[in-house]
Amino acid sequence: MNQSHQPANGGATFADADDVAALHGVDFSIDGKAIFRKLDIGIRRGEVTAIMGPSGTGKTTLLRLITGQLRADAGCVVVEGRDVARLSRRDLYAMRRRMGMLFQNGALLTDLDVFENVAFPLREHARLPERLVRNIVLSKLHAVGLRGAARLRPQQLSGGMARRVALARAIVMDPQLLLYDEPFAGLDPISMGVVMRLIRSLNDALGISSIVVTHDVREISQIADSSYILSDGRVVASGTPADLHDHPSPVVKQFMAGLADGPVTFHYPAPDYPAQLLDRSEGA
Amino acid sequence: MIGLLGELMASLHGFLERVGAMTRFAGRVLWNVPATLVRFRLVVEQVYNAGALSLVIIMTCGLFVGMVLGLQGHDLLERFGSEEALGTGAALSLLKELGPVVTALLFAGRAGTALASELGLMRATDQLSAMEIMAVDPMRRVVVPRFLGGAIAMPLLTAIFIAIALYGVQLIGVQVLGVDQGQFWSQMRGAVELEDVGEGLIKGVVFGIACSLIAVFEGYNAEPTAEGVGRATTRTVVISAVVTLVLDYILTALML
Repeated sequence: MNQSHQPANGGATFADADDVAALHGVDFSIDGKAIFRKLDIGIRRGEVTAIMGPSGTGKTTLLRLITGQLRADAGCVVVEGRDVARLSRRDLYAMRRRMGMLFQNGALLTDLDVFENVAFPLREHARLPERLVRNIVLSKLHAVGLRGAARLRPQQLSGGMARRVALARAIVMDPQLLLYDEPFAGLDPISMGVVMRLIRSLNDALGISSIVVTHDVREISQIADSSYILSDGRVVASGTPADLHDHPSPVVKQFMAGLADGPVTFHYPAPDYPAQLLDRSEGA
Repeated sequence: MIGLLGELMASLHGFLERVGAMTRFAGRVLWNVPATLVRFRLVVEQVYNAGALSLVIIMTCGLFVGMVLGLQGHDLLERFGSEEALGTGAALSLLKELGPVVTALLFAGRAGTALASELGLMRATDQLSAMEIMAVDPMRRVVVPRFLGGAIAMPLLTAIFIAIALYGVQLIGVQVLGVDQGQFWSQMRGAVELEDVGEGLIKGVVFGIACSLIAVFEGYNAEPTAEGVGRATTRTVVISAVVTLVLDYILTALML
């Protein structure tokens, strides 16, 4: 794990050169509720890094901190050696052009068809000849197996197809860092396998780094180089998938094996069940 | 009593907070107008969405408002034996009041709700977040073109509403109730000044800016849930209607 770093001029920091992104001692809270406390995470360059943890542990929030959509209360978030909080709006947008993010629901623009969705970042940021735009878009759609769906509307796509289109859009600007928010949620086994292989193959073929936020332990274990497990605002375990399977921590054991009983409780805090059933003072 | 006072203060605080948020939002919108005008194609698309797609409802309502005005105006003027003044009365009331106000209310109901729900759904389905991640400012790409589209479409719709309504007045007054056609048009031409047309145009522009701003503000800041989008749509109609009528009074008082 990296040590805490002091930001230097212009937001540059002395981050580990092997880390494409890192969080150093990050505190973050929403409406007074602490989400992260002194969180330290390093995302290694060229690797697929999994961020796992029970629901509500702030995994998506972590991605939003990395993209600069949220600001940490304390500590610093470093991307490509620069403190995200210290970037000007122009620099932040320049940084985001080197990132791609796959949202849980795809987040395709519903007023554009598949082709135009993938072409959207190109049209917004680059003045390219139409022929070149067409070739780039078709090549990205081909990479996710949906070249034939170019003229479909987002409403005509299945969940898995929408996510693959969103993936094509995320890679159309040739990003250095790809962020995936729950890429396997709600997918059938075939789509899940396709998306899983795409994450790995895109990472290796394009020479990029990937962060995958998920709670699908079995799937991500097959493709991740390293993983972090978050719980209660902290990293409770990190390492290769094999390390995590043998981890002694009860939280990690419970999470990896999907057990109902353990430190992470199934029930939201509530009064005693029989007592509540017998209590006549509560409404009907 | 103290509880009631507390609730009153809390709602006043909430109201002022919302007014402040809308003022800041309006500032951001205006700040981004020049950058958006460079890509005027985006604005033209929204003029089509807010304007052309509202034409049927505006024209239908304009025709019926004009026909009702013809009936009522004729009934009133007949009592004084001056039915030929129907054209003048109808033209002045349509240009100065009915045209801009009714168009604004219809605009809020048709285009305003469409804008608010579209933006709210874009928020709820992460489309606006996705744009931010793609280094595209949703303010410039989505919000300002829609605001400008609405603000440009509204005065045009007002003009069309008035023209169709005048046809409706003529249809009932002249064709059905027998008012002299020459008197109808010549009295109207003689009495209506350019200032009267300007008054209607100014109101159309002001109502257009207000209604479009309310719609994009409510949609952009909608809570990202189905209920939140529904609330934003309802608020768009209610606030637009109230603001239109308040502004109408202020503008009328200033221009009389």
